[in-house]
Amino acid sequence: MALTLERIRADVADCLGEDPADIPVDENLVDHGLDSVRIMALLERWRREHGIAADFADLAERPAIEAWAPLLGAA
Amino acid sequence: MTAPPVTETVLPLTAAQSGMWYAQALDPLSPAQNTAEYLEIDGPLDPALFAEALRRVAAEADALRVVRVEDTPDGPRQYVAHPDAAEVPLTVREPDTVAEAEAWMRADLAAPCDLAAGPLFRHALFRVGEDRWLWYQRIHHLVIDGFGHSLLVRRTAEVYAALARGERPGPRTFGRLADLVADDAAYRSSQAFAADREHWTRAFADRPQAPRLAGRGALPSHTFRRRTAHLSPETTQGLRDLAARLRATWPDVLIAAQALYTSRVTAQPDVVLGLPMMGRMGSVALRVPGMVMNVLPLRLAVTPEATFAELVRQVVLGIREVRRHQRYRYEDIRRDLGLLGESRGLVGPLVNVMPFDYAVDFAGAPARAHNLSAGPVDDLTVNIYDRADGRGLRIDHDGNPALYEDEDLAAHQERFLHLLDRLAGTDPRLPLAAHPVATPAERELVLEEFNRTERAVPPTTLVGPIEAQAARTPDAPALVYRDTTLTYAELTARANRLAWHLRSLGARPGAVVAVSVPRSVELVVALLAVVKAGAAYLPLDPDYPAQRLAYMLGDAAPVCAVTDRADRLPDGTGTPLVVLDGLDLSDRPWTDPARALTPAHPAYVIYTSGSTGRPKGVVVPHRAIDNRLRWMQHAYGLTAGDRVLQKTPSSFDVSVWEFFWPLREGATLVVAEPGGHKDPVYLARLIREQSVTTCHFVPSMLQMFLAGPDAADCAAPLRRVFASGEALPRETAQAFARALPGVELHNLYGPTEAAVDVTYHACDPADPGPVPIGRPVWNTRLYVLDAALQPCPPGVPGELYLAGVQLADGYLGRAELTATRFVADPFGPAGARMYRTGDLARWTARGEVEYLGRTDHQVKLRGQRIELGEIEAALAAREGVDGACALVREDRPGEQLLVGYVTGDADPAAVRAAVARELPEHMVPAAVVALDAFPLSPNGKLDRRELPAPVFAGSGDGARQPSGPVEEALTRLFAEVLGVGRTGPDDAFFDLGGTSLLAVRLVGRIRAELGAELTIGTLFEASTPAGLAARLDATGRAAEDALDVVLPLRTAGGRPPLFAIHPAGGIAWCYGGLSARLGPDQPLYGIQARGLNSDEPLPRALAEQAAEYVRHIRAVRPHGPYRLLGWSVGGVLAQIVAVLLQDAGEEVDLLAMLDSFPAEQWRERPAPEEGDALTAVLRMAGFERTHERTREDVMATLSRAGSPLAGLTDRTLSRIVDIVPNHARMMREHHHRVYDGDLLFFTAAAPRAQHWLHHGAWRAHVTGPIVNHDLDCVHSQLLLDRQLDEIAAVLTARLKELGA
Repeated sequence: MALTLERIRADVADCLGEDPADIPVDENLVDHGLDSVRIMALLERWRREHGIAADFADLAERPAIEAWAPLLGAA
Repeated sequence: MTAPPVTETVLPLTAAQSGMWYAQALDPLSPAQNTAEYLEIDGPLDPALFAEALRRVAAEADALRVVRVEDTPDGPRQYVAHPDAAEVPLTVREPDTVAEAEAWMRADLAAPCDLAAGPLFRHALFRVGEDRWLWYQRIHHLVIDGFGHSLLVRRTAEVYAALARGERPGPRTFGRLADLVADDAAYRSSQAFAADREHWTRAFADRPQAPRLAGRGALPSHTFRRRTAHLSPETTQGLRDLAARLRATWPDVLIAAQALYTSRVTAQPDVVLGLPMMGRMGSVALRVPGMVMNVLPLRLAVTPEATFAELVRQVVLGIREVRRHQRYRYEDIRRDLGLLGESRGLVGPLVNVMPFDYAVDFAGAPARAHNLSAGPVDDLTVNIYDRADGRGLRIDHDGNPALYEDEDLAAHQERFLHLLDRLAGTDPRLPLAAHPVATPAERELVLEEFNRTERAVPPTTLVGPIEAQAARTPDAPALVYRDTTLTYAELTARANRLAWHLRSLGARPGAVVAVSVPRSVELVVALLAVVKAGAAYLPLDPDYPAQRLAYMLGDAAPVCAVTDRADRLPDGTGTPLVVLDGLDLSDRPWTDPARALTPAHPAYVIYTSGSTGRPKGVVVPHRAIDNRLRWMQHAYGLTAGDRVLQKTPSSFDVSVWEFFWPLREGATLVVAEPGGHKDPVYLARLIREQSVTTCHFVPSMLQMFLAGPDAADCAAPLRRVFASGEALPRETAQAFARALPGVELHNLYGPTEAAVDVTYHACDPADPGPVPIGRPVWNTRLYVLDAALQPCPPGVPGELYLAGVQLADGYLGRAELTATRFVADPFGPAGARMYRTGDLARWTARGEVEYLGRTDHQVKLRGQRIELGEIEAALAAREGVDGACALVREDRPGEQLLVGYVTGDADPAAVRAAVARELPEHMVPAAVVALDAFPLSPNGKLDRRELPAPVFAGSGDGARQPSGPVEEALTRLFAEVLGVGRTGPDDAFFDLGGTSLLAVRLVGRIRAELGAELTIGTLFEASTPAGLAARLDATGRAAEDALDVVLPLRTAGGRPPLFAIHPAGGIAWCYGGLSARLGPDQPLYGIQARGLNSDEPLPRALAEQAAEYVRHIRAVRPHGPYRLLGWSVGGVLAQIVAVLLQDAGEEVDLLAMLDSFPAEQWRERPAPEEGDALTAVLRMAGFERTHERTREDVMATLSRAGSPLAGLTDRTLSRIVDIVPNHARMMREHHHRVYDGDLLFFTAAAPRAQHWLHHGAWRAHVTGPIVNHDLDCVHSQLLLDRQLDEIAAVLTARLKELGA
């Protein structure tokens, strides 16, 4: 099952302990508490559940939901 | 075909790299910046293919081609080789064992890297089995960090796998070093940079104390100690689950756990941890192997009431905030806060979480990483690795060896693992107070093992054993005061008569009787009478201000008050008086009074300072003090032959054992004069004349006593000395052992609230470090508890609580206050209480307690307990004072000064005068300073550190001129000792910041310079230069500067004078002790280096210096025979002076040397450096240098030991800094000529490093025999008491042979 922008946003919000509505799609997630351990956890989850191919550096290089969407096949 | 031209790229350093470069430049020989790890590869590996893979990776990774880093006028630059020139030498070895390979790696890692020469890395491959390899890589931290390492390893594995398959490796994936440099430069000129700086400066504006698990900081060391452990898989999973429940990550949980641990172990609620951050998120650096990482401070508030869930949330939010400003460098934060210049850290332990597993394989051969060094360890770093090996988290504790021994690291690690276990299995909504940091074994040790003090004692009272003793030895001497001696029978009869009288006035068990009598026979009789009547005595110091006495009488409501004369106590208190003067008790019975006294009844009530401004009466029951005295007798065994000195004021609880212990044991009480307790000279005489065997000193008074000239004479009668009342410095204990060898020194500790003392420690002169307060006495338990009231393990500071039979009942009439300080004992039997001391302490591993300071604003000043709040309340009560604050300052090492600060329009001098009428002398500020406003910290609290030092100014230029040389000399000495610019002849010593310690120093200076005999008491009576001058003998010599070339130590006497030439430091004061020992008929002159008190140039050669001394010596004594002596360099100079005198045709009949060795023995040895001047200053005072690092340390040591050298001015000290190396240089350049005569020599014969020094070397330079005396000491101790006795005896005999 392919990832959607909303699914990405919900998963990110979940791992940050925030409400999805509070997570902007176009801003640097680092400012919202995203760190390498959380990216790894998200990656693991998305690989397992959605079979995505992106790697850590891809996501960490531009940590924003809109930037991730094409990498995660959600565009 | 020609090779392409090989070029180098030159790049500036990023800020991160610069930090590493400066750290290495500061300590070029340190290997601490080497980072290294090895990969354990399980499977076949082709070394040639591996070398090729490595070469290709180096061609791709700029960091591996940084060949050197050079400093240039524009700053350091890194030189990156062209990719085609990538060279990666690979060492390939086949060691026998993994251990052998690891040893090779550690040796390689221990070699410092020369950045300017390169190479900055090293690779090695070890074959440690058929199909087992270790790949070692060491890279300087300037070019790589942990994440960079992981990029290199992955790419190497990728390239190797491709080559192994015979394929072309995929395209290069790394970013360029130049991009990092550009990115860094862009950041540093951006608005974000300015905003980040603003953030950090604001967050740490109050510059919090870095929490150090070791209790102190240290310089970065070259190496580190490491202790590795694994968290069990169960606990690891438990922490992951806990993290998930708290919507956090497992690193957040570990950081929170470390914060909790650190807070408890350092007793700090404000914890700043260091977080190494990879710093690459959202940055080009993600794909650049390089040095990017940063350490950032995470500040957390850890309170026992908060829950672990809340702490984890704080960590999550805190890290989120940190990340927003993570590019700003740690070094820059420290610099912005001004911490760099003070060598102060900002963070405590580092928590370095490495969640990246190297799940790599080399063409199918799996590899596992082993970190060897993650960079420098300033304090403590906890490295946590999540390796995918199913073994749970690996935790490395790396510690700076200057701060942590292996067992310290082991203890911290074991406790941390225990704590993680607990947290993983406990509801995170419990308060943090539920979690102890001590392991169960440690808890058992500190609560039970160290507190095994149960001892059955009979149910007696303070007074019962005294009456039994009196009945056994009625004719033995019980008390001596001046010319009066009372036998036990006489004392008993007088006390009994008074007791019957007091009974008739209502004295009975449970009642209080005040006693206000100066120290005398009558005081002892009165106190004994009160307890014989069954009442509790309330001592009222007759020196206290009337207002305070009235308050205590009103508060304690005694049934009557015993005084020596009618006007002793203030009028109108309503308390019936018993005036001893003229009281006829002859009709009262002389027998012991009947009374229904039990051990539960109060024995005495002693008032102590109260923080809210009201003193509070501590009620101590008989069972408490009886236990205390029974333990004391068991521990120290007083006998009938002992004589105990009573000198402590009765209002201070130490006096309780002084008064009553000897009377319970048949010994004799020797009572000192009123006021005598302040005069060391008087006390020394009393101890000697009265053969006192046992006495007590508050440590600061003990220092003064030992600094006095007569202390050593007390060694014969004294058996034991007790110290208590404040921290006993090790230097004082050492000075004690030197002055009074063979006399026991016992350090005791206890608050008034626990029957005088609850711990004891016998000082051993050989012990290093702080003097412990020791172990608990009988039936007493000590608890060192952290903020959560959990027991602290050994070594961890906490607040000291006391439990057991010696606790006071509480505060008289203050049930609420009593309830706050005497609380339920959670570790004892039901209903047990414990007393909260407010003292910071820690257990040693041996089960003794060390005192560390106070948790509140209570201070001890010369043994007296003072609540600053009480002084502040007194200041604030004055008209015109808006706000008040008081503190004890130590602006000059070893000199404590009580200072009050006030705002408002009151005149500070009038405020001081007013509080002096209300407060006892020891609580009156030495100065009251008026301020416009109190300095506040950024968070609005009073910033005590910013309160200004008081400026004591003498009357200065406006003062009248001194009349006569004595007054002139005294005004100068006053100014010098007090450290004020100028004093006038009518300025009073104690108004200018004079303390009793300074008084001892002033009296010492006056004795030395004016040759005048005076006591401390004289200074208390006549405290101005004019007053003192009038007291001094009218024939007193004019002042002679103690730093002139000629120092007349004794001018009187009929014999030819002895000239004693200074040691390396240039000062000859050290011969003062010799003067006393050679007797009144032997004149003695010290010869001192030129320029100690002037800017005259120093001599260029020993011969020039000696010629000058000859002129000075001949000015004192124009013709021979001459007698010369010298210690150290002084002996060498004496030989040259002797030769020059013989050249002039004069006779020299004595040349004596104290451990001096001729020039040629030194010539080939390196000359000492400047720092050795401090060593020389210490040596002149008889100390070897140990922990003293700075001039301030040295002065503090001298000051604590009471050395007159502590009074040296900065100017003189800086001259000594020049004089010492100048002597060393001249010594090495001198060539001796022959002295015609014999040599008397004293060798400091204890083993020394310079074993090649020998007096036989003088044979070439003297014609006569050399007579040597070996003394059992080291060089610096030659002029200390025992050696000095021996030297003086030999010299006296020799001088006698020579005749007049």
